[in-house]
Amino acid sequence: MFKTLHRRKFLATAALGAALAVGTSGISHAQSGEKVTLKIANSQWLDALRGKNLWAAVQKYQAVAPNVTLEQEAIPSAEFADKLTTEMGAGQGPDIAIMQEGLFYAMADAGFLVDISKAAAGVTLNKTNDNGMIDGTRYGIAWQRAAYALIYNKPVLDAAGVKVPTTVEELIASSKAASAKTPGVIGFTARHQINDFSGWFMDFQNWAYGYGVNWIDKSGKLTINTPEAVAAVQAFKETYASGIIPIGDSMPTQRTRFKEKHVAFSIDNSGGTLNIASGGALPSLEIGAASMPFKNPGAHQQIFLGVSAHSKHPEEAIKFLSWLVSKPGQQALRDASGPDALATDVPVTDAFAAANPWAPAFAKLGETSRSTLIPGYEVETAQIMRFVMQAVEKVILSNADPKAALAEAQLAVDKQF
Amino acid sequence: MTGSKIRSGMTRLVPYAFILPPMIYLMVFMFWPLARQMYMSLTNTRIINPNRGRFIGLGNYERLFDDPAFYLSLKATLVYAVLAVVFGVSLGVISALAIDRPFKGRAIVRAILLFGWAVPNVAASLIWLWMYNDRSGVFNRMTEFLGLGRFPWLTSTELALGSILAVTVWQVAPFVMLVVLAALQSVPHEVREAARIDGADELSTFRAVTLPHIRPAIQLASLLVCVWSIRRFDIIYLLTGGGPVGTTSTLVVKIRQTAFEGHELGMASAYGAVGLVLALAIAALHYAVEQRRMKWMSR
Repeated sequence: MFKTLHRRKFLATAALGAALAVGTSGISHAQSGEKVTLKIANSQWLDALRGKNLWAAVQKYQAVAPNVTLEQEAIPSAEFADKLTTEMGAGQGPDIAIMQEGLFYAMADAGFLVDISKAAAGVTLNKTNDNGMIDGTRYGIAWQRAAYALIYNKPVLDAAGVKVPTTVEELIASSKAASAKTPGVIGFTARHQINDFSGWFMDFQNWAYGYGVNWIDKSGKLTINTPEAVAAVQAFKETYASGIIPIGDSMPTQRTRFKEKHVAFSIDNSGGTLNIASGGALPSLEIGAASMPFKNPGAHQQIFLGVSAHSKHPEEAIKFLSWLVSKPGQQALRDASGPDALATDVPVTDAFAAANPWAPAFAKLGETSRSTLIPGYEVETAQIMRFVMQAVEKVILSNADPKAALAEAQLAVDKQF
Repeated sequence: MTGSKIRSGMTRLVPYAFILPPMIYLMVFMFWPLARQMYMSLTNTRIINPNRGRFIGLGNYERLFDDPAFYLSLKATLVYAVLAVVFGVSLGVISALAIDRPFKGRAIVRAILLFGWAVPNVAASLIWLWMYNDRSGVFNRMTEFLGLGRFPWLTSTELALGSILAVTVWQVAPFVMLVVLAALQSVPHEVREAARIDGADELSTFRAVTLPHIRPAIQLASLLVCVWSIRRFDIIYLLTGGGPVGTTSTLVVKIRQTAFEGHELGMASAYGAVGLVLALAIAALHYAVEQRRMKWMSR
């Protein structure tokens, strides 16, 4: 009996001790230099060239924190949101996620991200981080911001004797002239298919914003069928119907065609342009970039870093972010990010600017570009834009009237939101 | 309790012990997820917070039946499934009959015909995506060569469903061919021979002798092709993503959109429930027809 009691007492004490040790170990172990693995999810890890460079940049952290091992979770961009949402919904997933702004808002809204204010302490973050604050709490820090521009193949334009267009009519005319002068050259590339919905709606925001669209009015009500939106859809329809776009080509195919000197103009973001300028037949020096052929500024794609609430090492993850926004971290990221804007103002190197003369145009356009998300409806933007893009699809494929198609979209949006 | 009583009790339990493992399997992997999905369709569960759904009764179904997009989706699903059965099964049966007879190079022809079934759906979709490409696809090269011009195979509201059906038929016909071919092996050679001696021509022999033997196989293949078509996602999603203008937006494409774009798992479950009812109705129809046939045959 005594023996049993002693054994019980001993086991209970040991269990209590173990519980206390476990309970307090999460942070202190990591702080005391115990080996920690941080998994970082990003679709860019799979990008040719850029993925390797970005990974090499973040891995520099391991020299500063030798107890930390960084591990990739590479998810193709088309599946990134689905997979991350499912993982996080199941209480799993990476420690750090590098995600598009729309997904970032959904994650923060669901409570899957932790407050990372500590990571930004003492650092002057630029305005690319503004949307990382939600209801006064910082859930995200900018990884990259990629503004959009009109890019072009200089030799093709020179051969055709055309100038950089400043209106949609000029774009159509110049594209046709370029195709006529250099056989096999496509006039203009742009996303245009619903099977690439998430990319298409973000690209289409350039047309919408370019024509002055605000998807909400002053009271915050969703406004889909405004005259500006009708004009934007009409302009896209005219461009589509003019035959200058390679119908059916996916965006990767269109970029490859540009890379291989087969495209005159494209509307693309700085990340896509860096991809085109790297390792293809078209030298980076022969690529030009200018404002899009619209009256108003366009959009940008914003990517945020967030720390998962399911992470077992949130403190270590925040420390990693602190390093990333520090000077050495930003410089490492700058060298791998090309012209994209970063969390702090780190200019591109002179060597990069000289080798990529198109880069400064993106930096300039990024000063006035707008988020692809609808203010106040950040989490629902994709759902709302699905109605808009279905209207655009109807206009370009079924010859529907833009005004009627957008009015129908407005009705559907009013019903659901 | 005597030994014989225990033994008799054990003997009674043996059948239950045998059916227990499959029952556990079915409960865990079929009925429980199904029941959970049905319950979820009555909640406002969101994919980013799957455990925080609130019971809303038939709210999702009310929204569903009030949405014109749902009827468009249902129509697309039914048209796609019916046409996949009609063309896939017809082509499969014709192929099976063609290669049932011995001829030179039969093994090679059979291997070629099976190719569609062997290629993974995603790889097949990507190959067809290239072939359908407006500018550089092989189909438009051919039509241009013939002076017919280019066709927007995947971006035209008139052609998209047909283009997807072509890929589907290319994939499912070899399966039907295999099933029917196996059934053809069971047709007694003597009966065919006797019919021929009695003066029956090829068509009459097929109708009176071969068809009754292979009918159950054709029915089963039709049922499977139909249910698979209702469930098919990859080919449609990769080729058109549900477009153009919703003409290929089947129920499963809507489920994906609702769950992952709208994050509405409850609503997506309601779409799933409709798909399930559709598949069950088709299976029930198949068994009803089968029962009637069996009754008629036993008369």
